[in-house]
Amino acid sequence: MGEVQRIFYIHAPSGWVAGTAYCIVFLGSVIYLWKRSPFADDLAHAAAEVGFIFCSCLLVTGPMWAKPVWGIWWTWDARLTLSFVLWLLFVSYLMLRSYVSSPGRAATLAAVVGIIGFVDVPIDYMAIRWWRTQHPQPVIAGGEGSGLDPRMFLTFIVCVGAFHCLFSCLLVQRLRLARARRELSAIRRALAIRPSED
Amino acid sequence: MVNKYLFLAFSALWVIFFLYAWSLSWRQAHLEKELKELKNKVGKGRPSDSRPS
Repeated sequence: MGEVQRIFYIHAPSGWVAGTAYCIVFLGSVIYLWKRSPFADDLAHAAAEVGFIFCSCLLVTGPMWAKPVWGIWWTWDARLTLSFVLWLLFVSYLMLRSYVSSPGRAATLAAVVGIIGFVDVPIDYMAIRWWRTQHPQPVIAGGEGSGLDPRMFLTFIVCVGAFHCLFSCLLVQRLRLARARRELSAIRRALAIRPSED
Repeated sequence: MVNKYLFLAFSALWVIFFLYAWSLSWRQAHLEKELKELKNKVGKGRPSDSRPS
């Protein structure tokens, strides 16, 4: 495979982080619908946005590995299609947040998408275990005959850790932005209401 | 020589992350500007200016 194999170290961790991000979207959505917590809503929204970035990286780097190895950029096999569906779920979540004008309604509808869409994550993870796909078989937790050379495994784990650290940093930054925006809206509302309360 | 697909993949990754970091920073700056404008309005003692018409 040669040097192009190194794309694996950015492609697979991007996929893992995208999966983690959608798990956070799911948890945030459940908590929001249950407790109506603004923080849970902000967390789900932030995770969806950052997850979309990592999922885009997954879909961009995959074809760049596939072209020299398979001879094609893309094929509609189970893993690739389900990863594309995950990307579409992130897009629909974010579009819903943008296009619904009422913030409360947007949060509720987005939470429903966040919960229903979560079905895709475990199926996407298991796709290469359940079905025969063009996508390579799993190298981590793939059962007998799978696995990586110890040096490759170490590099891969370091990359997964680094990608999760980057994800956490971006998520925290995005959460701060959401909180600042929420506080600004609250101040605006307070200033608008105060004269009529006097 | 570095494989062109490897180069493209890593470049794309850097571009995507750079654009997202820039977008976060732009939104932060925009929010700070809004906050400054609000502070100026409050400082002038005209809170009713922000009331929707």
